[in-house]
Amino acid sequence: MRVNYQTNAGTQFRLLSDDQLEEIFQAVLKVLEEIGLDVHNEEARQILGQNGASVDELRVHIPSYMVKQALSTAPRSFTIWSRDGDPEKNIHIGAGRPYYGPGPTCPNFLDPYTGQQRKYLLKDASLVAKVCDALPNIDFCESLGTISDVHPSLGATYEFAEMFPNTSKPIVAWSYDWEDGEDIHKMAVAAAGGQKAFEKRPNYVHYCEPLSPLVSSEEALNKLIFAARHRVPLIFTPCPSAGGTAPSTMAGVLTQAAAESWMGLVIAQLIVPGLPFFMGGVVSIMDMQYAVLAYGAPELSLLQAGLTELAHYVGLPLWTTGGCTDSKVIDEQAALEGALSVFFAGLSGGDLCHDVGYIGSGMTGSLQQLVMMNEAIGFTKRIRQGIEVTPETLAVDVIHDVGPGGHFLGEKHTLRHFREFWSPELMDRNKVDDWEAAGSKTLGDRVQEKLVEILDTYQPPALPEGIPAQIAEIVAEAETRVAE
Amino acid sequence: MSDILEKISKAVIEGDEDSMADLTRAALDEGLSAKEILQGGLMPGMDHVGVEFKAGRMFVPEVLLSARTMKGSMKVLEPLLAAGESITVGKVAMGTVEGDLHDIGKNLVGMMMEGAGFKIVDLGSDVSPDAFVEAVKKDKPDIVGMSALLTTTMRNMGRTIDALKEAGLRDQVKVMIGGAPVTADFAEQIGADGTASSAPAAVDLAKELMGLT
Repeated sequence: MRVNYQTNAGTQFRLLSDDQLEEIFQAVLKVLEEIGLDVHNEEARQILGQNGASVDELRVHIPSYMVKQALSTAPRSFTIWSRDGDPEKNIHIGAGRPYYGPGPTCPNFLDPYTGQQRKYLLKDASLVAKVCDALPNIDFCESLGTISDVHPSLGATYEFAEMFPNTSKPIVAWSYDWEDGEDIHKMAVAAAGGQKAFEKRPNYVHYCEPLSPLVSSEEALNKLIFAARHRVPLIFTPCPSAGGTAPSTMAGVLTQAAAESWMGLVIAQLIVPGLPFFMGGVVSIMDMQYAVLAYGAPELSLLQAGLTELAHYVGLPLWTTGGCTDSKVIDEQAALEGALSVFFAGLSGGDLCHDVGYIGSGMTGSLQQLVMMNEAIGFTKRIRQGIEVTPETLAVDVIHDVGPGGHFLGEKHTLRHFREFWSPELMDRNKVDDWEAAGSKTLGDRVQEKLVEILDTYQPPALPEGIPAQIAEIVAEAETRVAE
Repeated sequence: MSDILEKISKAVIEGDEDSMADLTRAALDEGLSAKEILQGGLMPGMDHVGVEFKAGRMFVPEVLLSARTMKGSMKVLEPLLAAGESITVGKVAMGTVEGDLHDIGKNLVGMMMEGAGFKIVDLGSDVSPDAFVEAVKKDKPDIVGMSALLTTTMRNMGRTIDALKEAGLRDQVKVMIGGAPVTADFAEQIGADGTASSAPAAVDLAKELMGLT
């Protein structure tokens, strides 16, 4: 028997020390208490004010005891349930379990068949959901776009109505405001079997964004309050760009982003103590030549890793970022930036990694990028498994049996373990002659083929009988509402 | 197809080594001939394995297990054959050429060929031109297979072919060569009958050289 034997079960790195994290934590508390934030929502100000915050017109100062109280009630581990309760598709948030999925609200879309950039259309939401459902390394679904060809207030309603029947993986939904948030919730509740059943097994997450620096809009907080009251797990994720809407130093970005997200945390936990809450942030730099938030910058991965460690230090799961690029097309830049941020997110262990499939600095959604990143995530997951050290894996017996000059191909031991090797679906390891004979296809060619194959052949699990009719009714009511 | 042949096919596909000898005896007890067992049970099983392998659903260690499972049946069948009767599709003498100890590729090709019904005479590694000549005289293979990993030792493939010519044996055998640095141009240049870039392609080439495809 081995005693006090230390095992590293997996690969993960650590960026900041506990001392550094404590220092950032204290800085966040100081910002919330002493600088405060502008809260453009009367109900939110009331909730905060009644519970100990000082409110001076829009400006709210949140004392550190309130923040610590909120951190103490927010759970670190919980489950986001798949639409049909398929255990393979449930998301079990908890230490050391990163999950991946796309991001929301890009105005443009790369046409999945032609690769041409165009506006994001109603029909695209169902395609995105289908592809998310088909890809084994994509764990949740988000739309990769804002539908441009419906009533401008109903983009989010239609998006959910299109996605929900085409994937049983959990959806991360966003809305413009309270009413369309309510549309979405009604659809999810219909499939869950009522509000009570939904509360036990929430099948979607609601996504809201404060503004940087240190502002929350009326709508963002309406959405947050609606979600909290209806027990919908929440993401509250700012998007500070270093040097533009946040300080240019990395620790400063982390401090400000955490303060912005925790303002939402405090309100949500005051409404429903124990509500699952993802601290969030797309944290990167403003590119000082082109003045855009860089989605392929090394600072994005560095900051996301820092924010992940801060979240975990205080016991929150993190909504992190990866698999995205500043490139306008699916090229070497898209592959390099996307794969590196996917890998870094995996090594830092952020809980839900989103924006997989963003290209053009978040302006365009691409299923091609999503399919390519599915491969990069598989690669990353393999490395995260680490190296197991046991008598079986040390394999001294089989080394003995084979001996000098033999080979391992036919050994039972090899048969038992070779399937632990990661098997690529899109990476080419063929001999050059055979590769040429098969058409000399590049990764981009293979990605496109795989995408079309999924779109043309994959059948996602259908919604239970009666639910599609209820969804159609909810959408029709929403159309009546906006027509009034 | 009879039940027992189907079971034999299935055992080959699943690599059920332990049941193979018993299944083969059971088939013989039912009155099936060795040839019928080979052609109706073993080969369809290996053909299926070949298809699965090319489709990326089965992998090298599994193909080798299937080949070994098939070999377990062949061991039972071979002693029952009449003199001069053969149930193999051809005989291959293979080795890594002189000066080269890299034999994983040669072993892999050999095992895959066994799975396709070839009889393999493994000459090992660091095999001199003379040793190849002796093996051709003694074992009378249909095909000589040579392997090399190094550009330096690759030249010994040509020397071995020259030795076969000098001994007057070149016309009696087909010569296949393989290994990372080997190209089709090189094979032609030294007077070999062909080369293949992967183990499954080598099996196809061997069948082609035997006039089976």
